[in-house]
Amino acid sequence: MKRKFTAFDKVIIAFAAFFFIAPLIAAAEYSARGYGDKGHTFANYSWIVHQLGFSPALLTSLRIAAITILIVLVLMVPTVVYVHLGGRRYRRLVEILCLLPIVIPVVSLAIGAQVAMPKSLQSTSYELCFFYVVVAMPYVYRTLDIGLQSVALSTLVEASQSLGADWFKTLTMVIIPAIRSSTTGALFITFALSLGEYTLAVLLHFHTFPTWATNVSQQNIYGSIAISVTTLGGAWIFLIVIAFIPRIKSLFAQRKRVA
Amino acid sequence: MVIADELTSPIPTRGGRGTSRSTPKFKFDKSLLGLLPLFLFLGYFLLYPIASIISASIHDNKHHLTLSLYGNLFSGNYRDAFTGSFKLAFYSMIVSGIAGALICWSVVKTTGVVRTITSSAAGVLANTGGVPLAFMFIAAFGQEGLITKLLLHVFHWDLYGGSFDLYNFWGILLVYCFFQIPLMVIIFTPALENLRVEWIEANESLGGTKFQYFRHVLIPVLLPSFLSACLLLFASAFSAFATAAAMSNGSIPLVPLFIGNLVNGNVIAGQENQGDAMAMGMVIVSLFVIAAYLLLLRVTRKR
Repeated sequence: MKRKFTAFDKVIIAFAAFFFIAPLIAAAEYSARGYGDKGHTFANYSWIVHQLGFSPALLTSLRIAAITILIVLVLMVPTVVYVHLGGRRYRRLVEILCLLPIVIPVVSLAIGAQVAMPKSLQSTSYELCFFYVVVAMPYVYRTLDIGLQSVALSTLVEASQSLGADWFKTLTMVIIPAIRSSTTGALFITFALSLGEYTLAVLLHFHTFPTWATNVSQQNIYGSIAISVTTLGGAWIFLIVIAFIPRIKSLFAQRKRVA
Repeated sequence: MVIADELTSPIPTRGGRGTSRSTPKFKFDKSLLGLLPLFLFLGYFLLYPIASIISASIHDNKHHLTLSLYGNLFSGNYRDAFTGSFKLAFYSMIVSGIAGALICWSVVKTTGVVRTITSSAAGVLANTGGVPLAFMFIAAFGQEGLITKLLLHVFHWDLYGGSFDLYNFWGILLVYCFFQIPLMVIIFTPALENLRVEWIEANESLGGTKFQYFRHVLIPVLLPSFLSACLLLFASAFSAFATAAAMSNGSIPLVPLFIGNLVNGNVIAGQENQGDAMAMGMVIVSLFVIAAYLLLLRVTRKR
């Protein structure tokens, strides 16, 4: 779509950019302040790493994220593929089921988990993995669904099976590579969500990275802002890099062709 | 399978015409088996917890059936929490809905690097928001923050001269806008991308003015998607917990904060299940909002 880019749009974008970037810059400045007017330092950033519990909390979050991703991969990918292939008539049902978690506020889910889950599960932080799968499900379903709509799934499956592949091989070596970009998209959403999720973790009393960060922030306000700036800025840069990867790839491909 | 079913099913008697029609024999469909993992997972980790809350919310602490816990939601602190959440969700929906739609209007026209940067920024702010966002705000708009100082020294506007306080209603509303506006940009983008250049041209060739284009093309086309996006904003603000928890020290009555307090053991004696009733209250509110959203979506799709 090519509509004209007017002065009005420039004003809006400039205003929005200021509105959103100014607090980030202000926070970055604040996080570089020292106690007692010592000018600007990076001391608060190194302070983060040296805090007690930094690496255990980060590791716990990474482990939870990894397991969540695994469950999504094993549960959601085959199910959505199945809905597209054989159980077409259940598509509406599955769609509604997968969007259901949007209706349930996470706070309510946390209460429910506390009431319903067995003690053995509640005693380990891996309980969070299952609920992160639930919370991520609407986004994961959407992403996979859109990806599968764009490939000729039944043709791929027929071709693969006539060549003698079984279901597992078809799924892992044909279908998943064919929808690689939407699979990675779904996994990335899951990963980001399980690393940053705060509500469930704090209400179920687990120590993950976000809850650790809020806890230590009570000792050092500058440090806590340093953590926030790192999280937000880091995630933003990461997303920009990811968005640019295809472009860089195609740039390299072009060079190769020229050479 | 189907044939076997018909062979084994008892022959319907002539007299039982009505019964055989009203109670069709349940036919087990093998293709449902493939969905079994999903059913089991959602059943255990979503429906079972919700069912437990429902059950807890209709029992008092002596295990008698009662609806009084729901009745409590309409009085005292509980009512204040619900009105507080409603007010916050409503205001942030209005502000973010309009601002987000305007920004989205301009953002969809951009391409290349600007587009990548804006869309990734929207993604980060809308999704990772929460606690880091709250701290960022404390740093920027707090008493010692750079923006507060900038406003004071350059624009001679004392942010804290009036009724503004980062930790009261207006402060939280400001912070909410920072993840709600990006969310609006994300969910409203598809609707704007579907606008056709041909419509502008058609309007011009028919001699329509810009205002007529706005009034007779844009508003009718965009209104359903705009309203449904606003409903999602409402639901998102209504159930947000992390930001509110990090920002307010319990000074503002909000439902999620209230529930959080109850979960953390600050329970009034004899009201152990009150949190469950509140949680169900939230589910019910968001059910209504999402139902309205789906209805609007249907209107949009019909065109």
